[in-house]
Amino acid sequence: MTPLERRCRWLLRAYPAWYRHRRGGEMLDPLLEASPPSRNWPSFRDARALVLGGLRVRGWVWSLSLLWVAIGASGAGYVFAMTTQTCSNECADGVLWFPQWNGEPGVIVAVGALAAVVWVLLAIAVLAAGLARFGRRESRDGIRGYAWIGIWIAGVALMVLALLAASGWLAGNGPVDPTQPSITWGSPGPVVGWGELPICAAWLLLGALMTWILATPHSRNMPEKSGRSTRQASS
Amino acid sequence: MREPTYFVLVSLLDGPLHGYAIIARTVELSGGRVRLATGTLYTALDRLTAEGYVELVREEIVNGRARRSYGLTSSGAGALRAEAARMAEAARLVTDQGRRLKADGSARKASPA
Repeated sequence: MTPLERRCRWLLRAYPAWYRHRRGGEMLDPLLEASPPSRNWPSFRDARALVLGGLRVRGWVWSLSLLWVAIGASGAGYVFAMTTQTCSNECADGVLWFPQWNGEPGVIVAVGALAAVVWVLLAIAVLAAGLARFGRRESRDGIRGYAWIGIWIAGVALMVLALLAASGWLAGNGPVDPTQPSITWGSPGPVVGWGELPICAAWLLLGALMTWILATPHSRNMPEKSGRSTRQASS
Repeated sequence: MREPTYFVLVSLLDGPLHGYAIIARTVELSGGRVRLATGTLYTALDRLTAEGYVELVREEIVNGRARRSYGLTSSGAGALRAEAARMAEAARLVTDQGRRLKADGSARKASPA
């Protein structure tokens, strides 16, 4: 296998497994034939078209679900980085761009607020879209439907857990006074910290499960096996 | 109908072609203007197959990989003819207008006020 073929195969992973199984080899052919022999990397145009094509086949329910997971994981990861000693005091002093837990620049606060609103809206819209997809007559799948509901309940539970951890309930400190910084750099014990790491990991696991649940064909636009003529060629 | 879709259908007028042959034929027919990326081609083929304009007509194994050839259906040929007629009609508006403009210009030259 040439480096070009290996990279093209890797790029084809943008498509779900069922699509690769039916079309992967077929798509590899023009990708390799269209490239000059000396080429080791697929062209940017081809790479972009494959990624966009993969997103189209996976569908917008998958894309928005993964956005939902990414927001949750990023939030948990951010709190983790800010409340453990993984970030140096230089960060907290604002020497580097990365902000401290309290007193973040306005842009971080705005992005956080926006992400929270998007997260809530996505939770409602995509949960409903997923249920509609699994409930459709032609793609009715009870197990995946129930798994889909379970995954969203787990996601909401994770978010509540992360918020409780951040507000100090889990540490027995009660909710934080928004006017008073509850976590400061250099303090001996941050209210949240390593506890955010498993929450972050759980988000990533949730993303993987969502990908598995949605890894079924949902469009009827796949070419069927023709059955007219299948033969071996040796060129 | 978008231009790449149109050229994909035109490329199949002479008979079934496989993926890379469609890309090459499209480049040839459009004078190099339409260069389909592989992902774009298969997106178009998925859609055209679902719409019933294109069908899978042959499968073969080449170098251990599936190679499928696609052909135009009668419905696809009809849609292509309708699109060509629509474009010809739209083009005629401009070419007729151009002829009129040219005629007006000649008349003005012939009789300067």
